[in-house]
Amino acid sequence: MTSTHSATPAIELRGLLKSFRPARGTRRGRSHARGSGRPTTPSTSTSTEIRAVDGLDLTIQPGEVVAFLGPNGAGKTTTLDIVLGLTEPTAGSAQVFGRRPRGAVQEGLVSAVLQSGGLLRDLTVRETIELVASTLPSPAGVDEVLARAGLTDLDSRLVATCSGGEQQRLRFALALLPEPDLLVLDEPTAGMDASARRDFWATMRADAGLGRTIVFATHYLEEADAFADRIVLVAGGRVVADGSTAEIRARAGRRQVSADLPEDTLERARVLHAVRDLPAVTETAEHGRRIVVSSSDSDTVARALIVDLDLRGLEITSPSLESAFVSLTEPHAQPADLEENAR
Amino acid sequence: MNLTFVRLELRRFFRDRVSVFFVAILPAFFFIIFGAAQSYGGESAGNGNVTMYVMISMAAYGAVTATTGIGGTAAVERMQGWGRQLGLTPLTDGSFVATKALVALTVATIPITLIFVLGAFTGAAGDARAWALSAAAVLVGGWVLSLYGLAAGLAFRSEAAVGATSGGLVILAFLGNIFIPLSGTMLAIAKFTPLYGYVSLARYPITEGRLIDGSGTVVDIEPLWVPLLNVGVWAVVLGLLATWLVRRGRARQ
Repeated sequence: MTSTHSATPAIELRGLLKSFRPARGTRRGRSHARGSGRPTTPSTSTSTEIRAVDGLDLTIQPGEVVAFLGPNGAGKTTTLDIVLGLTEPTAGSAQVFGRRPRGAVQEGLVSAVLQSGGLLRDLTVRETIELVASTLPSPAGVDEVLARAGLTDLDSRLVATCSGGEQQRLRFALALLPEPDLLVLDEPTAGMDASARRDFWATMRADAGLGRTIVFATHYLEEADAFADRIVLVAGGRVVADGSTAEIRARAGRRQVSADLPEDTLERARVLHAVRDLPAVTETAEHGRRIVVSSSDSDTVARALIVDLDLRGLEITSPSLESAFVSLTEPHAQPADLEENAR
Repeated sequence: MNLTFVRLELRRFFRDRVSVFFVAILPAFFFIIFGAAQSYGGESAGNGNVTMYVMISMAAYGAVTATTGIGGTAAVERMQGWGRQLGLTPLTDGSFVATKALVALTVATIPITLIFVLGAFTGAAGDARAWALSAAAVLVGGWVLSLYGLAAGLAFRSEAAVGATSGGLVILAFLGNIFIPLSGTMLAIAKFTPLYGYVSLARYPITEGRLIDGSGTVVDIEPLWVPLLNVGVWAVVLGLLATWLVRRGRARQ
């Protein structure tokens, strides 16, 4: 059980589909769907259904650190819930280390820091860890996980009096208890201030060197950029892009070179004409008094603008992960019922 | 059974002074007022006196308050998403329900012990067999009805649920023939309510099925199968309901 699953993917999702009926159970369901009654069969095209996950395929190998990115309602949390055995897919298959998700949880192969995973306010930090440890077959030591999560000094504090960041470190400590091979983090730093976020990721990084598979969902692009080897972009319940951070950024498009245009109209027309004839230019645009050039060879364009055309105020910008995010997820924006995530 | 889990749950209960008051102190106070302090306390109620009859009734009320209170904490846990956190552990639905039921059972022994000790000092009298059987029935019945608190708590999932289930409990106690002796139509309705079978069984060692009205007159003799059926049906209904609600709670809220 310890190393036999090295050839098995940590996560394997095939044609994963999860739809919710909004009429009952999901309080955030669209009101227009209310009162239209339940479909008698789990038909996939009924308008009363919300498809949070819509044919998602994903394989994650052991040892990968993967960021799960996507706009609100993309289906990230629902997908992670399926991986954790907290909810069952409507169709498709989900395997964690070759097992069904609930089985992997029971064997202590996977654990998670949940976005909405509650804590009991009237237990202390140590008691909370003791309680969760008592449900596991062979948990790590309570003192050990306290130390690894940086909670040793807070162990007798009531959870109710811990800050959001401290509570999140406690959830992290709970996730460490089974010594999992796969750790899932669902927006682990949501609601934390910048320094708490930095502390949290520092703690995570200290633990990630152990060859553990980590999958985390986040809204913070810089977290994905700084921490993940691989980014999986999800929109409308599907994977829309999957690759290294650099690859994802590259897919957003080319570098842009911009400079001030001359004030004289004739001179300006001459410059614009010259720029369009430069090699490797894919697009030019006038933004007020500036010209913006997209090119696969930004160095050549920059040299031409400064040396040959004598323009001033030059700037070169790389596409940000954020613009990659926007350009890759927006074309997939679907009608409202697909966007709706049954949170 | 996971004893660490049970121990920590008990520690949580004793940390909450308000619920300790409602579970242990208030039913004991009711017993003093309605039982020990009354002049009719020494009259016979079958195999024991009226003080003992009231003692058993109030111990039953205290035990049910205790078990419902544990259900109330389950409600708050749901609200905080603790159910999802536990969903990430190997803990099964069955052992979650069993753990909560065992905690409720343990907490229920507090008012029972307190009120029975008070009763012994304030004139409750009956044969030894009645004392033992009644105590056992209050405890076991309270255990069954921990499912009521659990199901109600899981269904409402808010802090208000704790208040709502306690409020509902007072009504169910009146309807269940606990506080005042019912007769006529009210008694006929009472037989279908969840606390009726419980308290009737708990008093059975004294009353042997005799039903008394407000003036102490025996109005009917009820066969044992009536309270047994009441408890049995409610145990099945509440047990299935609680298990279903735990499953529902695991899905994202």
